[in-house]
This record gives sequence, C-alpha cells and structure tokens, in this order.
Amino acid sequence: MTTHRRTLLAASAGLLAAPRFARAQAETFRIGALNPVTGAGSPYGAGMQRMIVAAVEAINAAGGANGRRIEVFSEDTQTAPQAAVLAAKKLIEVNRVRAILGTWSSGVSLAVIPLTNDADMILMHTSGAPALSVPPANARHLGYRFQATNDRFGRAFAEIAVKEGFRRPATMAFNNASGIGNTEGFRRAWAAKGFQNGVHVVYEPNQPSYRAELLRVLATRPDVIVMGSFLPDTTIILREWFQMGVPVKWIIPAWAANPQLVQALGPAVTEGIIAVDSVSNEGSPAFAAYDAAYRRTMNQPGLSNVYAAMTWDMATTLGLAIEQAKSFETAAINAAIRQVANPPGEGVSTFAEGKAAIAAGRKVNYDGASSVLDFDEFGDVTPDFGVFFIERGQIVRKYVVKI
Amino acid sequence: MTAYLLAIGIMAAIYVLLTLGLTLQYGLTGLVNFGHVGFFAIGAYASALLSLQGVPLPLTFLAAALAAAIAAWPIGLVALRLREDYFAVVTLGFGETVRLAITSEGWLTNGVQGIPGIPRLFSAMPVGLPEALATFAVIALACTVAALMLRRIAASPFGRVIGAIRDNEDALKALGKDPARFKLQVMMLGSALAGIAGAFYGHYITYLSPDQFIPLVTFYAWMAMIMGGVGRVSGAVVGAALLMAFLEGTRFLRDFIPGVSEVEMASVRLGAVGLALVLFTLFRPQGLMGDYRK
Repeated sequence: MTTHRRTLLAASAGLLAAPRFARAQAETFRIGALNPVTGAGSPYGAGMQRMIVAAVEAINAAGGANGRRIEVFSEDTQTAPQAAVLAAKKLIEVNRVRAILGTWSSGVSLAVIPLTNDADMILMHTSGAPALSVPPANARHLGYRFQATNDRFGRAFAEIAVKEGFRRPATMAFNNASGIGNTEGFRRAWAAKGFQNGVHVVYEPNQPSYRAELLRVLATRPDVIVMGSFLPDTTIILREWFQMGVPVKWIIPAWAANPQLVQALGPAVTEGIIAVDSVSNEGSPAFAAYDAAYRRTMNQPGLSNVYAAMTWDMATTLGLAIEQAKSFETAAINAAIRQVANPPGEGVSTFAEGKAAIAAGRKVNYDGASSVLDFDEFGDVTPDFGVFFIERGQIVRKYVVKI
Repeated sequence: MTAYLLAIGIMAAIYVLLTLGLTLQYGLTGLVNFGHVGFFAIGAYASALLSLQGVPLPLTFLAAALAAAIAAWPIGLVALRLREDYFAVVTLGFGETVRLAITSEGWLTNGVQGIPGIPRLFSAMPVGLPEALATFAVIALACTVAALMLRRIAASPFGRVIGAIRDNEDALKALGKDPARFKLQVMMLGSALAGIAGAFYGHYITYLSPDQFIPLVTFYAWMAMIMGGVGRVSGAVVGAALLMAFLEGTRFLRDFIPGVSEVEMASVRLGAVGLALVLFTLFRPQGLMGDYRK
C-alpha cells in the first residue's frame, strides 16, 4: 500500500511538473512579476500577480507577442526593499527575465530600479514617489509608472475642493511617501490658488486608535478633511469620527475609499464621502476584460483592486510594444511603448485587437483598464481623475476633473 | 546564477557583521540588545549622507562606526544600570526612536521619501560580476577582521571580565570590578559593528528609507545568533549564512512542490522559515556551533 501511494505521488508530481519542462523547450520572452504578496501590500499583491499572469495568458492565447509566448516568473517583495532587491536579483540572474512588472511601494521601486537599469530592462511600477520620474532613479528612461504620482492626486484633490466650494480644508496623512505626497500636493496646489491651508496632521501607521489626531484636526473646525491614507487606517479614522458626531466632508483617495470600506463601515458612516481615483475606464472594453479576469481568479469585483488593473495594463502594454517593435531588444521595446500607448492611433482595448491592427499596419493607442494610459516624457501617466460620491452605500461617479 | 549567489552572499555577510555585534553584546556579555537595528540605521544614514556630500568612502565607513558607537554611549549610561529585561525594553524603544527620528527629520534624511542614488562601494567599476565580486570580497574581509577581533577579545582578560558579567555579575562586583564600564565599552563596540554593517547595506542597496529599519532586522540578527550558537563567533557566521539560506533558499521550494500557485508560495515560504526556526530551537537549542559541554 505504501509503495503504491508513493508511486502515485511521484507520478502525479511528474505530471504536474511536465508542462513546465515542455514549455521550456520553445523559446519564450520571460518577464518577472515582482509584487507585494506579503507585508503591507498584501491586500493588493496577490491580485496584482494573478492579473499579470491572466493578461499574459490572453497574450499567449492570441499567439504571443512577436511570435513568442511570454513566460511569467513570480516573486514576492514582502513589501520590503531588502527582500525585493534579492528577489529582483533572482529574477534577473536566475530566471533571466527581460522586464520586471508590478512593484508597488515607492521604497521597493526605488530599491529595485537601479538593478533593472543596470541589467538594461524595463521596470513597470505603481509607486507614487516623484523621485521615480527623474535621475538617478529613471536616468535611463526605462521606468514606467502606471499610477498617477501622489502629487498629481493632490492637485486633483485641490480642483475638487474648489469645485465643491470648500474653504477651510485640513489634511491628514499616513506617514509614508505616498500619504504625505498626496497631502503635500494638495497643499501646494491649494496655496497656488491663493487659498489658506488648514492644519496638517501626519499620523503613524498601525495605531489602534486615531482619536487624538482626529481631535486635533476637528478642533480647527475644517469644512473638509483631505486624506492621504490607506484602507485600514481610514476605516478606523472614519469610525471614530462618526462616533464623535462632528459634521465634516471627506476627500479620500479611492484605494482607501473603496467597496471594502463601505462594507466595513456601512452606508450611514460613508454617506457623502468623496472618493478620487485616476479614471479606471469602467465603461471601457479593456476594463470589462480585466474585470472578468479578476472576478474569475479572485472572486471579487475588479474595482476592489486598482493596482491589479494597472498590472493587467502593464502586461498588455508590454506585449503590444514587443509586437510593435518586432524585436525582443529592450531599446526597441522601450521606444515602442509610447507608440502603442499614446495617441494618435486607433483605440484598442485588448492585446488581440492591437495585434491585429499592428499587423494591418495601423498605429494603435491602447486605452487601458486602469486609465487611458498615456505616458509623458518621464514615463508617468497623467490620467483624468474620476470623482465619486458614496451615496447610500453605492460609489457613484459624478464627474471627471482634468489637471 | 553566480551574481544572484553573490547578492545573497553580500546580504549574508552584512548580517554576519550585525550578528557579530550582537554576539559581543549578548553572547559574550549577556546584554539583551533589542535595538540593534537603530545602530544599523545610524551607520547606514551616516555613511550615505556623507558620501553624497563627496566624502570619500573609507572615511564615511569610519564615520558610520563612530556615529553608531557615539549613539550607544548615552544609551549605555542610562540603560546599563537597568536589569536585563528592562534594558531589553529600553533598547527596543531606542531602535524605534531612531526610525521615527529618521522619518521626522526630513531636512537631513529626506524623511519617508528616502535617499536614492547612494554611491556603490566601487562606483568607478561598471556593474557586473567583477564589481559584485569586489564588493563581496571587501565585506567578507570586514567580517573576517571583525570575527578575529572578537575571538581575540573573548580570549583576553577583557573577555574574561565580560564573560563573568554574563555568568554572574554580583560575584564580579564582589571582586571589585566595575561592570558598568565594561558594559559601556561592549555596547559601543558592538554598535560600531552594526554601524559598519549599516554602511555596507546602504552602499549596496543604494536607497535608504526609514521603513527598511524595522525591528525585524534586529530579530533576524537574533535568529542568526540563536541558530548559529549563542556566544560563539563561528556561530554568528554560520547562523547568518543559514538564515539567508532559509530566506532565499525557500524561493526555490516552488520548483519542488507541485500544485502550489505562485501567490500561495509566498506564504508557504515564510511558513517554512518559521517551521525551520521552531525545529531548530526544539532539536538544537545550543545552535549549530553551540557549546555542547554545558
């Protein structure tokens, strides 16, 4: 019996391993999915990784990019620069990947980008830190940011505050590069409009209560509180604010003010919150394709993970760029990224569509699931921002602001 | 593959230096330092900031060691009069204080945005295998010097005094020695080692931000020391190498475990590291290089 079971185990292990070896026969274009599967980014990392794999499956189903299948090697950054550097080294040296996709926090991206630069490969990330646009980090123009910079988010917040007629804004920021980037961006833009900034409170992560910080802010009687925050802390802050019963409006980035927040707090607390997101084209066919893939693998709506939409776009953009470049060289692919992502050109929303258009000799413009995805000279996207109001537990898009 | 192994080797060597500092403090003297990462951070930032001002690298390393040692001095004065468990709490607090200070003092450290573009150890050489090899060689040399120094200390009269502090401080006092002075020296020397480790770390990763200096770094050094064997210089070396082998080696587990998805693997990996540590403390409580005569 023992022998029998062991044989079975060996056989099934062999079967499972077989496609891996079989696949290794044909030459592939290898990419690394380097995502925050554990650590602070863990709410997003798994979805991000799965969406890179899903988008690559779509590319391979359409016959691959420039005739080659794309093969994904996945690693975990643990949302820590040190672990990420070793993981990136492994992807580069051992797996011989040719591009790395999906680093999340700015600290990780800033630590990984010197390695990808030195290895002459493209890094696509979702980090907000301004330092990633310019030298030394982006000296070789191989870095692409699929997320609006925190500063741009802040500018969008200021536009919205003006439009909504607020006069006494206070700001609260989670103490990291992203949180402070949002609120600093807002305060600069707000001051540039000739208005007076209110109190600015920076709070530490992982606190069980933010009552003291809230009291400091509310004591100045603001009419709106602009947040640079994440989901866990926003949940606690809003719950405590509601218990205090002080009327105030909120402008919160959409990665914090999302369906999970409404689910955790209920419609009464979240009523009237303004959530701001770089427009994920929910109406667009690209978003529909992404959403279907996300629901299939993660069993959740695609809107619940804005970063997964970005990684979906990363893989698709890279695939299209390879197709356009008719080459597997980094320089050629890098030159082709703006060609396939930016206007002018025929709007396409999937890899298959784009491949067909490129084959027909037309210039394409990929409109992504996360935004329309047009890169400026720094490799940053400047998306439009969707303004959502939470009404009776529903997150409803009201209008769009441009900066 | 070679470059990846070298990268692991460099990180392991940095942890060897950190662990050697801890071995001196805890293994040889019995000081429970839970704030090791604070001195590591001070060294990293001191060397990085100075090198960005154009100070040549050997000098910045000296400055890193000095800064960490000087930071240990007031801690020593205040805390060395505390009994060990209280001392542990104070040092833990110190480590966190350093991180918060780095976060808050944006004028100096660029706060949470961090410092990018720190020069590499051999910035004149192009990036590649020779450069990695040279970096590794220098760090390995530093580890060797530190290990030899520690051995020398352990065998010296000074070493016998600190050993006595660890084993029975009251008896030592009865003999007319002043443990506080020795503890202070040990604290500063061990912290200087952590500072040098930090300098190597900064010039290797080339980007520093406060969130890299969480208490986990301290406990990695503790894990390395415990696995290798407390109080053994060779234990620090073996333990740090083993820790890296666990942390990085588990990345390759996926190739041997079929049916586990890439995402699940990340959790399996950390689980495997934890399991290995538990098994270690169960079956080899003295550590690999530990003293089995006791």
